Amino acid sequence: MANDDVYTRRMILRFIVLLIFGVIACRIGYIQLIDTRYKSMAAGNVLNYEVQYAPRGEVVDRRGEFLVQSMECYDLMVIYRDLPKEGFDTTRLCNILSLSKERLVRELRNARAYPRAPRLIIDYVAKEAKLRFEEHNFQGFYTVQRTARQYPRKIGGNLLGSLGEVSENDIKRGEGEYKKGDYIGKSGLERAYESYLRGDDGVKIMERDRHGAIKGSYMDGMYDTLPVPGLRITSTIDARLQAFAEELMEGKMGAVVAIEPSTGEILVMASSPTFDPDAMVGRQRGNNYMDMLYNPQTPMFNRAVQARYPPGSTFKLVQGLIGLQEGTLTPENAYPCNGGYHWGNVKMGCHAHASPLDLRNAVAQSCNAYFCYVFRNIIENRKFKDVKEGLDRWVEYVHSFGFGRKLGSDFLDEQEGYVPTSERYDRVYRGSWNGHTVLSLSIGQGELGCTPLQMANLAAIVANRGYYYIPHIVKAIEGQDSLDRRFYEKQYTMVDAKHFEPIVEGMWRGVNVPGAGTSSRAYLPGWDVCGKTGTAQNPIGRDHSTFLSFAPKDNPRIAISVYVEHGGFGATTALPIASLLEELYLTDTITRPELVQQVKNLPYALPSRYVRKNDSAKK
Amino acid sequence: MIQQRNNIRLFEGVDRVAILLYLLLVLAGLTCVASAGYDDSIEGFFNFRQNHIKQAMWAGVAFVVGLFILLLDSRYYHMYAYYAYVGALIFTAGTIVMPEAIAPITKGAKAWYELGPVRIQPAEFAKIATALAMARMMSNYSFNIHKASDLCRVAMIILLPFAIILLQNDTGSGVVLCSFIFVLYREGLNKWLCIPIIMVATLFIFSFLFTPLILLIVLVLIFTLSSAMMMGGAWRMHAIFLAGIALSAFVLYGLSSIFFDGALSGYQSLIITVIVAIVVAGVYAVRKHITSIFLTLALFIGSMIFVPAADLIFESVLQPHQKERILSFLGIINDPAGIDFNVNQSKIAIGSGGLFGKGFMQGTQSKYFVPEKHTDFIFCTAGEEWGFIGTVIVLSLLCAIILRLMKMGERQQEPFSRIYCYSVAAIFLFHVMVNLGMTVGLMPVMGIPLPFMSYGGSSMIAFTILLFIAIRLDASPSKGAYALN
Repeated sequence: MANDDVYTRRMILRFIVLLIFGVIACRIGYIQLIDTRYKSMAAGNVLNYEVQYAPRGEVVDRRGEFLVQSMECYDLMVIYRDLPKEGFDTTRLCNILSLSKERLVRELRNARAYPRAPRLIIDYVAKEAKLRFEEHNFQGFYTVQRTARQYPRKIGGNLLGSLGEVSENDIKRGEGEYKKGDYIGKSGLERAYESYLRGDDGVKIMERDRHGAIKGSYMDGMYDTLPVPGLRITSTIDARLQAFAEELMEGKMGAVVAIEPSTGEILVMASSPTFDPDAMVGRQRGNNYMDMLYNPQTPMFNRAVQARYPPGSTFKLVQGLIGLQEGTLTPENAYPCNGGYHWGNVKMGCHAHASPLDLRNAVAQSCNAYFCYVFRNIIENRKFKDVKEGLDRWVEYVHSFGFGRKLGSDFLDEQEGYVPTSERYDRVYRGSWNGHTVLSLSIGQGELGCTPLQMANLAAIVANRGYYYIPHIVKAIEGQDSLDRRFYEKQYTMVDAKHFEPIVEGMWRGVNVPGAGTSSRAYLPGWDVCGKTGTAQNPIGRDHSTFLSFAPKDNPRIAISVYVEHGGFGATTALPIASLLEELYLTDTITRPELVQQVKNLPYALPSRYVRKNDSAKK
Repeated sequence: MIQQRNNIRLFEGVDRVAILLYLLLVLAGLTCVASAGYDDSIEGFFNFRQNHIKQAMWAGVAFVVGLFILLLDSRYYHMYAYYAYVGALIFTAGTIVMPEAIAPITKGAKAWYELGPVRIQPAEFAKIATALAMARMMSNYSFNIHKASDLCRVAMIILLPFAIILLQNDTGSGVVLCSFIFVLYREGLNKWLCIPIIMVATLFIFSFLFTPLILLIVLVLIFTLSSAMMMGGAWRMHAIFLAGIALSAFVLYGLSSIFFDGALSGYQSLIITVIVAIVVAGVYAVRKHITSIFLTLALFIGSMIFVPAADLIFESVLQPHQKERILSFLGIINDPAGIDFNVNQSKIAIGSGGLFGKGFMQGTQSKYFVPEKHTDFIFCTAGEEWGFIGTVIVLSLLCAIILRLMKMGERQQEPFSRIYCYSVAAIFLFHVMVNLGMTVGLMPVMGIPLPFMSYGGSSMIAFTILLFIAIRLDASPSKGAYALN
């Protein structure tokens, strides 16, 4: 490199440095000395940010009927610094907004701590009150438009969920998506589809003069942004069916879940007792919330996806299917039943029916003894090293039916239920146990715990002869072609389709052949209803009543599971509810009004733990 | 000689002008932080929770570190340059693999260690180590900047930390390394090679503002032009090359829209043509033994993959919220009020200062309306409170320290010291350019601090180390003693 080249390069670099600083200095000089725009903007002019809250997305049912609507309402805000020095007419303000004077004084005192910051005085101001407020021009106060949730049918409290103000944690997790005072879905569908429903807030920047009055839009609205409304969601729920289910379940505890087997779409998801979703909106939200929190019947507990119920006899379907697949059972196998199953001092009672029965009739008659044999033959199969290995194999099968694990639905609150494994028995019985120790599993009792969603899914599996689609509550999102891929994939169980025929046949006989089974009351002429009752014992009161059904037998359109806590026999309480819902869904009519009345007037007594001690809330 | 080496006196031969400029800048920074970062809710000006008191402590720590550096023999920097480089790279890459408890994600970037109350940004230290390693490599006796293989090795030294910092998703800090082109130019890099590199760096900064088609066209033009320059003319050949690309892209586009119902977009047909053209040019270069074409082609392919690929990944792979985060990190979208809002507030604050400013602790715009007012946007406070006169003084100080570093570099006999001094000057220049550029609305917003003035312990210590190593090398009494080691 020649010396003069080095010299040139040094000079060029020095020139570049000076050039960069020169450009910056000129720019600063221009901003500070020549362009007066910035100075006038800063000289006493302060910008005022009005958040334009985005209306939250609405939710409609599968037929387009509104489940959730957005209603206009307003927040009243104050900027303490801007209040008139000489005071203002507090009585008139309180009257217009139906606000107590103490509250106003208290809020204003709080606002004084941060005089520049906008502060909320009262929320959920109705539109009429807001218009009257604007007539009077209270200096320092202003309103911000928000939207509140409204529920035209007042159904699906737990299903739809509720909104609440964001917590510190939400703000931190949202990484700038949320700010204080925003609303966020706290439960149910509102929470699961929060990101689609919420939309994007906009902002309107207003310029104010040195007296604090709004002068107009800043830079002609150049930096304003419009709110982007949340997306409309079409739910899979059938509002008519959901309302009817909630009506039938009123006063009872339990859950109803219905699924369209060919898609996995949830038609009904009712948890009872439920609550009016409108109670979770507005100024009374806090009080209503606390009231429900202390209600011993826990209305906010979404039984449909969270409860852990023993499935009772409905589980015999699974038992039979596993037996067939494992080859330890053929449809023609017959086992005796003389009032139950006896082995040494182990006894499992059964009701009176013809004996011996083959598989189809055992399903129809719900014979306990039969399925004790089936279960033992599965887990005590000689191909297994010991009964532990047999049980673990059995657990694998049960898992494949969606039990003991989350199904992966779009419902975030979904729980796993419980399926015991050999480890659990090893721990409890210190390693010494056999097929008889765990015999109660054979009829869906014992440690088994299933959610009503899982049971409805079982009905869908049987209806589909061996597979299911992951149940979901959203059918479509506005502007999106499809949902998550997992909702379109068939989930196969470990049992082949060919083994389902005798089980389905048994369920069909139980309903459609008079005297052949336990479910004959579920008969709907011409619809080939298939069903299975269940009566689950429990330690604290009357038996739980459950019914699992689908219809029609071929090309099924609805699979349903009804679970009524302490409802007695499966055929007594759960069956008529399921049957009525099926009838409404399939035929759009109710031909048995007397059955509706009967369901509503069923004698129903809850164990004392569910009864409120001082029933002050119902006064 | 041996005695002298082992008994370095603290301030012997030390460049006092540089130290004075350093102290003045730190003082100016502290004053601004005191005004902008003052927390009204904490009582007392000298409360330890006040930002400026914390910053003063960091400055104290930094100065002690600086003194320690002055005590070390300058040979060590030469000796341990590569070790420091490897160590710093591992340290930096560590944030990517560390669990979030130690290396949390902040503003979309996983670039910080958080150990209790102390936050360390290893990228700051990677810059120092890269400068040292580059100086060491380029000061090697056999190093020749005109040799492609040597150039590739230097590029490796710079690109490795660059890649790691990009992986951290901390684009701002990564782009700083582009400033080393400044040093390469001083060391005799072919000037026609500098231009495309500078253009690519600029394009990257602004890449999200352009469509891929425009980017591609600009890239093709730049590289053809610089290739022509490097080959010393050959204008006709390059003109034919360009025309060929344009014509075939046009024909391809036309054919596809006539026969295949518009299966190819304009961008796709151009990209296909360009890929074919690269292959043709490559074959031509092999047959004619023109190595310079290879260099240009390699650079071109690199930037072509880099710039539109960044765009492509951005558009198709990322989730919407990630996109938004990156865009807002790059300053394209700024909540709550749309594009450029921060910058506009910053300009209002500076503009309201006028000629003389409002005086210490009198600024309101910067304090209440500018985001990041005591870190990245610290210069607003200077602008508002000290006016045009004050900002010109601050600018002069910054300019002076950079020119001083370049002067220090020029008076070294050792290439190692010279290259290092220039590297430091380049890093400072880049920081000042981007930071002030964004503050006054000339550049997109990137999270880059202003040297010595922005609040933050990591950057304060890192900049001090950078500067003091340069001062130490410059003050070395035995200039040239280690050259043959």
